[in-house]
Amino acid sequence: MARVNNWQLGREMSYWYPESRPEKQFAAVFDINKCIACQTCTLACKTTWTSGKGQEYMLWNNVETKPYGFYPLSWDLKLLEMLDGQQWSPDGSTYEGSTIFESAPAGERVLGWRPEDEDYAYPNVGEDDCAGQIDGGASLQMPHMAWFYYLARICNHCTYPACLAACPRGSIYKRPEDGIVLVDQGRCRGYQECVRGCPYKKVFFNPMTGTSEKCIACFPKIEQGLQPQCFVNCIGKIRLAGWISKPGEEREDNPIDYLVRIRKIALPLFPQFGLEPNVYYIPPIHVPTSFTRQMFGPGVDDAIAAYKKAAAEGDDDLTGLLGLFGSTEEVLSRWNRSGETITGFNDKGEEAVRVPLREPVSIRPSYDKLYQITRVNCP
Amino acid sequence: MRKASIIFAALALAAAFAASGCRGRTVSPSEVVAVPEQEITLDPLDDAWYPLPYHPAKLILQDLVEPRLMEPSTAEVEVTAMTDGKDVAFRLEWIDGSQNDLPGPQAFIDGCAIQLPSKQDANVPAPQMGEEGKSVEIAYWRADWQAIVDGRADEISSIYPNAAVDHYPFKAESLQKDPKKQQEMARRYAPARALGNDRSGPRKQPVEDMVAGGPGTLSPASPVSSGKGVRTDKGWSVVIVRPLPAFLTDKQSANIAFAIWQGENNETGARKMRTGWIPLVIRRLPE
Ligand code: SF4
Ligand code: SF4
Repeated sequence: MARVNNWQLGREMSYWYPESRPEKQFAAVFDINKCIACQTCTLACKTTWTSGKGQEYMLWNNVETKPYGFYPLSWDLKLLEMLDGQQWSPDGSTYEGSTIFESAPAGERVLGWRPEDEDYAYPNVGEDDCAGQIDGGASLQMPHMAWFYYLARICNHCTYPACLAACPRGSIYKRPEDGIVLVDQGRCRGYQECVRGCPYKKVFFNPMTGTSEKCIACFPKIEQGLQPQCFVNCIGKIRLAGWISKPGEEREDNPIDYLVRIRKIALPLFPQFGLEPNVYYIPPIHVPTSFTRQMFGPGVDDAIAAYKKAAAEGDDDLTGLLGLFGSTEEVLSRWNRSGETITGFNDKGEEAVRVPLREPVSIRPSYDKLYQITRVNCP
Repeated sequence: MRKASIIFAALALAAAFAASGCRGRTVSPSEVVAVPEQEITLDPLDDAWYPLPYHPAKLILQDLVEPRLMEPSTAEVEVTAMTDGKDVAFRLEWIDGSQNDLPGPQAFIDGCAIQLPSKQDANVPAPQMGEEGKSVEIAYWRADWQAIVDGRADEISSIYPNAAVDHYPFKAESLQKDPKKQQEMARRYAPARALGNDRSGPRKQPVEDMVAGGPGTLSPASPVSSGKGVRTDKGWSVVIVRPLPAFLTDKQSANIAFAIWQGENNETGARKMRTGWIPLVIRRLPE
């Protein structure tokens, strides 16, 4: 095992291979607060990539309703139970527990487990149903008596992929040009070690070809400077794809750097696993942070506070940047704000899109004086 | 007096079993003997195997690389061999209480493999899949490939009989009249097949030929071997036929090693039971 730097843990950790960061690292920010679980992303991916024989059950992109939804069943709970002591230092700067690499049992490369086929049989069906007893006369109050949120998930194209570390054949590789993690379909022999190793359960075994397959970050699109299918088809405009800089090289004008490293409002999923995952989440604001702290790390409270303040207190940079989500198919590697206008630039440095700080809003009165009728919202 | 006669009866019974039940099978305790025959057989149940001496090869854990098994499983594989001077056939028989030939997530497949050094050298390669510059040739049989060769359809319903499929793009009506285009489309949605990955099927042979120069380096070799496996009441009986290596003659012995995977025990890849090198000789049966 080598010693590598994991900025999400604030410390070095053990990994199967030495640190070798790609030239550019594909990264994304998902704003959980905007997700409506319409599953359009899931279908965009499904119809693009996994309509073949043996791929029937695969959802490279899935949206699950937390806390009761999983795909596959209990993917996070199982590992959380296996991983001892996940404590952070009191100031939240350093992870003091051990990662899945550091707690690999004898004979294994990583701490992991493998779902059975039935565990894939419950992709978000019924998890939105209220799990508790509702007393007579109950009504919705704020803050919620009961809570849930939608968690959209793809492969995290981790800096330290467990799938890659777990493969004894070296069939998984991380592309040096963009950090996208791929299973070499010509080399894979279907040992399912990656399925076992990936804590996010984002590698799937194809029983018809006998190889393992996973999200490819839509690399043919990325190579053309375009955002992946599940990003551009997102109805809620919750997603933004881009590049995250190497630790210490972050730039204010890089949208991902700004949200993740500078403003720290977007957080990694289960950083304590130790993979340095590169999909970052703006945590849900109406959920007890005792829950989300375990899922997104100790930065949750600060992230929520900054996010809430952005609109309320005229934080125009942050508010403006959030407006670039879902505004263009192009990958934005740079942005700026000039007054009320936010501009996004593509990889070539050309202007790709321009959005207003605030969309114009007009509210129709419910009573139409001209026709003397009350307007209703249904057709 | 009574005691003595009971012992005598037991001995007589044992002798009778040895003669009939085991049909006079002889053990070759320290080497695998390939017996010259006019013709070799691919059928593990062929009577031609029974007069031949078998070698009970002890299996040990693969313990060189992670991931690995921590507890031993299959203890032994019985190996019988014959050659027609051109090819050599090995029959491997081992005890395996469960038949695992349906692939799936967390579903692993019974299998076995034979391994020979690529060339004869006094300095033999490591038995754990060879070494850099000292490669080994491997022929690998799998129960799911056998099932496909025996007629299992290349459809998801073969694995999940109640699978519901809305639509496959290659089943689109517009492609129905053009089988070539249809196949092309099907391959597009089976990336491993599109890349010509040998193991991705649908297999025409239950045996795959490979070459390795150390753990993790297993690569496809040109297909020269064939095989057939059948389920017995105790486990598996599998014949693997490969070309007789030029360096193996009736005057010159070689080395061979074996590996067994028990699907039920989630054995796959490096998680396996294996042997060390075992001498392999060509020798006629005594007249
Ligand atoms: S999320 Fe899983 S599959 Fe994706 S790179 Fe990380 S370990 Fe690999
Ligand atoms: S990035 Fe592309 S391959 Fe990955 S989940 Fe989204 S649509 Fe699917």
